[in-house]
Amino acid sequence: MVAIPAPPDRQKPVDWLMDKLLSGQGVWPAVPAILILVIVAVIPFVMLLSLGFSDFSVSRGQIIDQTFSMRHLGNVLTDPLYWTTFQRSMSLALSTTAICLLLGYPVAYLFLIGGRWTRRAILIVTIAPLLTSGIVRTYAWLVILGGRGVLNNALLGMGLIDQPLRIVNTHWAVLIGMVQIHLPVMILPLIAVMSRHDRSLEEASANLGASRMGTLRHVILPLSAPGIGTGAALVFTLSYTTFVVPQLLGGGNYLNAATMIYEQVVYSLEWSKASVMSLLLMASCLVVLVGIALVTNHFTRWTRGRQG
Amino acid sequence: MTLARDLSLASAADAAQVLRIDKVSKRFGTFTVLDDCSIDVSEGEIVTLLGSSGCGKTTLLRCIAGFLTPEKGAILIDGRNTIPVPVNRRPVGVVFQSYALFPHLTVEGNVAYGLKMHGVPRREIARRVADALASVSLRGFETRYPSQLSGGQQQRVAIARVLVLEPRVLLLDEPFNALDAKLRGTMQVELRELIKRLGMTAIFVTHDQEEALTLSDRIAVMRGGRIEQVAPPDEIFDRPATAYVADFIGLSNFIPAEVRDGKVTLPDGQTLATEAQGPVRVMIRPHNLRAIPQGPGPWQGQVRFQRNVGPLIEYTITAGQSDMHVVALRRDRIRPWGEGDAVSLEVIDPEFCKVYPEA
Ligand SMILES: Nc1ncnc2c1ncn2[C@@H]1O[C@H](COP(=O)(O)OP(=O)(O)OP(=O)(O)O)[C@@H](O)[C@H]1O
Ligand SMILES: [Mg+2]
Repeated sequence: MVAIPAPPDRQKPVDWLMDKLLSGQGVWPAVPAILILVIVAVIPFVMLLSLGFSDFSVSRGQIIDQTFSMRHLGNVLTDPLYWTTFQRSMSLALSTTAICLLLGYPVAYLFLIGGRWTRRAILIVTIAPLLTSGIVRTYAWLVILGGRGVLNNALLGMGLIDQPLRIVNTHWAVLIGMVQIHLPVMILPLIAVMSRHDRSLEEASANLGASRMGTLRHVILPLSAPGIGTGAALVFTLSYTTFVVPQLLGGGNYLNAATMIYEQVVYSLEWSKASVMSLLLMASCLVVLVGIALVTNHFTRWTRGRQG
Repeated sequence: MTLARDLSLASAADAAQVLRIDKVSKRFGTFTVLDDCSIDVSEGEIVTLLGSSGCGKTTLLRCIAGFLTPEKGAILIDGRNTIPVPVNRRPVGVVFQSYALFPHLTVEGNVAYGLKMHGVPRREIARRVADALASVSLRGFETRYPSQLSGGQQQRVAIARVLVLEPRVLLLDEPFNALDAKLRGTMQVELRELIKRLGMTAIFVTHDQEEALTLSDRIAVMRGGRIEQVAPPDEIFDRPATAYVADFIGLSNFIPAEVRDGKVTLPDGQTLATEAQGPVRVMIRPHNLRAIPQGPGPWQGQVRFQRNVGPLIEYTITAGQSDMHVVALRRDRIRPWGEGDAVSLEVIDPEFCKVYPEA
């Protein structure tokens, strides 16, 4: 006979809580994150909503006499200025995403086929820019692209142009800056997928008669679909909602949704309009994200067989 | 007349030769992994590369497939040197150890992959894929993804995927490793039958000697990058060329002895003619030894351990300083020896012993 010690009848509440949080069952382990999200995201979001859908007056920094109203939403939706602004944001974000993918994929491919040192070099070059602030990197572009900047001086020096090119404060400067800032965000998920890649699949593909191009197209590309999806979603979200780069490199005359919201909050104090615009920004961003998710899902059907 | 016949025989033998590995050497840095390896494989033959872990089996296979380029030697397929031929143009099909199935393609997609890459028309692809799947009994699994298949089914997809291209040489790197022991046995027999039915030429890699004995027409025993012996299973087992092969394949007893007047005297007094000189080791297979009731014979021992393996009984008998392995058939009328019994040992057939120079 072996006596099994009876579990203590009462557990201290702290122990009970820790036990639940670490049990890995149900939602318990996510409880701390959920609490923080509610505090830092949901509550401000509800407040933002309430500003956008109400008329109110402010007295001594306090909101008084708030009444429900759809006026601001109507105003924004009927004003063509806002439509063009959103359009500009959208096309900027989409082209940033596309260019980042086109530039980032070859880097990830190089990571896949490269040796140990190539891989390290790529990782360092990709991660290093993330260690400096986006604002610093954007200012660096001003130095490079400016009227008397590095690029213009070089081109003038080589005699390729007679007058400095006007790049800063144009659409192009913004696009260049956006691509540079967001490229690592595209490359990292791609690399993550590539480093999990089974090299014997490439050998199998070659053995079955595929050229390098064929292997890239029919094996490596489809298998990196999850990374492409993640990278595209991240770059799109970030570049659709960023305001630092357009603000600095666009020189104040490049207006996208984010810079417009900023101006409404900081300069013209139209909080309701800003609130409605933020909501629209968020909603339209979600629509594109869902689109990206659907496309990615379509190309990663095979991963779903796994549970079966 | 006889000369003409000899010539025609020789040319017939040449025509039947599919793969020739000729003095192949491969180094990684300063480490020689393959050292002067030569094997000829003829049409429809199954050859196994057998050896302990790290002896270079996979490396040799990868050289044949073209994933590695040997520094020295030639690899000929149908008489053509393949060393300059890129991987995707070699008429060689590889079944990888991990199968390397494309996880994003269905069973059908995996099998069709090679045909697509070779630009085969769609109609024909469908027909050939169906045939290949039928030959490995995988009809009805077309739309499954590899992750939805069992290990044995995955292996059959991997085989169908290369068979469908009708390669001249099939290369299989430890294809049964991922399977459980029971399935392994059946798959070995099935695979051998399939390869024979299709008349394919195949090279298997394994470190499991039973698998090699089951599957092969000939076995190439490798050791440290060199090929020790290439011969049919019977010959490998009965007449191992070196002490290493004798030790590696099956259980053996080694007895130190001295050659006198071209003869070796076995412990039981019988003699054996040999061409070897000086100190030697005599190899006696366990089933070539017999334990008899203790008599006046010079080779006395005591049963230390006795084990029943179905139709056989294995004894470990301590004789002098060494332990001898003895295997006897189990028979009704003969009572097996028990542990502690005193016995005499004798060699059943001295001609069946092998003499190797002392290493
Ligand atoms: N790329 C490489 N670089 C350096 N050494 C290698 C490389 N590949 C293999 N080797 C070495 O070559 C030797 C032979 O390797 P190989 O994979 O051919 O062995 P194997 O006979 O297939 O063994 P196993 O039965 O374990 O699969 C090993 O000692 C291994 O460490
Ligand atoms: Mg191996």
